[in-house]
Amino acid sequence: MNPKVILGQTAFVNPVLAASGTFEFGLKFKSVANRLGGVVTKAITLQPRVGNPPPRIWEFAGGVINSVGLENPGLEKFCNDVVPLTSKLLCRVVVNIAGFTVDEYGELAARLESESIDALEVNVSCPNVKEGGALFGQQPSVVEAITALVRRRTTRTVIVKLTANFVDPVETAKAAEAAGADAVTLINTLFGLALDGNGRPFLGGRNGGVSGPALKPFALYCVDRVAAAVKIPVIGCGGIMSATDALDFLSAGARMVQVGTANLVNPEAALNVWNGMKEHARRNRWSNWDTVVGRIRRQD
Amino acid sequence: MFCSVVQARELCAGVSSLWLEAPETTRRVKPGQFLNVRVSNGLDPLLRRPISVCDVERSRVRLVFRVVGRGTAMLARVRAGDELDVLGPLGRPAPEMRHKDITLCGGGIGTAPLLFLARRISRANRVQVVLGARTKSELLLVREFRSLGVPVSLATDDGSVGHQGMVTELAEAAVRRNTSDTRHSTIDNPQSSGAVFACGPRPMLADLVKRLDPIPVFGFVEERMGCGTGICYCCALPKKGGGHVRFCEEGPVVRLNEAVL
Repeated sequence: MNPKVILGQTAFVNPVLAASGTFEFGLKFKSVANRLGGVVTKAITLQPRVGNPPPRIWEFAGGVINSVGLENPGLEKFCNDVVPLTSKLLCRVVVNIAGFTVDEYGELAARLESESIDALEVNVSCPNVKEGGALFGQQPSVVEAITALVRRRTTRTVIVKLTANFVDPVETAKAAEAAGADAVTLINTLFGLALDGNGRPFLGGRNGGVSGPALKPFALYCVDRVAAAVKIPVIGCGGIMSATDALDFLSAGARMVQVGTANLVNPEAALNVWNGMKEHARRNRWSNWDTVVGRIRRQD
Repeated sequence: MFCSVVQARELCAGVSSLWLEAPETTRRVKPGQFLNVRVSNGLDPLLRRPISVCDVERSRVRLVFRVVGRGTAMLARVRAGDELDVLGPLGRPAPEMRHKDITLCGGGIGTAPLLFLARRISRANRVQVVLGARTKSELLLVREFRSLGVPVSLATDDGSVGHQGMVTELAEAAVRRNTSDTRHSTIDNPQSSGAVFACGPRPMLADLVKRLDPIPVFGFVEERMGCGTGICYCCALPKKGGGHVRFCEEGPVVRLNEAVL
């Protein structure tokens, strides 16, 4: 079995990534990170952000709603303090970048060009900020503009993380592809609102992003549609808790998967997913992932 | 890590005590740290429940918690012989200290983590304990604190035992008694002589900080967390002057004077 996956110019030793925002920078659990295909960092913005006021997480039967609000140290501190450490990880490091204007994405990409990182994940889909965020990801023309700008400013692999909030991700995925993206990730969290039982919003940021097992059916549906519509690889994300979930995403057309909320429950979750996939591949004598990727379409 | 439950019992209405066989944890755990406990084998509830370590004895660790929702209600139904999926010890231990006058102030379920701290520091420091609850039957772990040989004062809202009124009034009096003959300052300062540790409801912590200002108060923050390991940024306590303390990682013991409560 050859578990390797290539996106753009980046070779990943296996198809499992830790999703942005759910594994910090991969440094707290290096022994897990080192055995994954890669780690997607917390979103990095040009300026440091303190994030949204607490509370920032609400649990419901099916997952969680968070409103962290892109808390991060900012681009410079990330480059100076974090990259020297992530560059020592054995896995690929994908930096998630979030801008509040189109131009900011260009600045982020340009500054990271001189850093020891493997790929960029362009975040046009954060639900927890007032400007930019998911609003960008709802407009194919803006996705195209941001992707094209990042493409011009970086030689690294460019992944665009799409939203499925009030937009058909097929349209935005096509826009990303047309502008030169090497891959798309979908889906980011869905918009959500949690009330405290007394008629008030519970989260400090008022609205939040829904993640966890509840997302999986819709995320699979999106991956299936997008994978059939674009030629670039799709990274599936949304409620993956087990190897079975991950293989479902591959069957629906994803080349890679991201494990997110499961990391909050168990910091070894992504590694468990990968080990389970490996075992499944061995038992079924798959020689590579082509046997699996998109197999539901081949049965239609 | 799976741990067997060796004893499970209810201490008073809505408060449960679990003793877990956890040799690995007992070797490493320090006061202030917590365990993150799965309450279901399935996906609901999904998140672990962070619970402070209340006590340690040989290879066993004790968790005392109040039922506040569905997750803790499920945990309260655990019985001896059951296995629990536990992550930890997590969080930054309380600062270590010697030869100091230390006041521990616990309100309600906030009493629990102070017991382990008292056990570890009572030999090398002068420790006094003030505990409060709404009523006598809700005062927790009084016998355990007394068995350490430290002075314990009690306060209840209804006056059913001890001082009738707020536990913070007792704590203030206790700290003032110390400061009258010794000098209180920050505990980072080797010259300093005292420290206050507190755990309880937010209004109690805020009241204590106000009463004792500028004497530093170290608080055990009890709040919802996402991961408990510092990777999700979901637990955030606002700091005076901006920013947040991630209390799963930088706490749960934090300098309350620097926090917005």
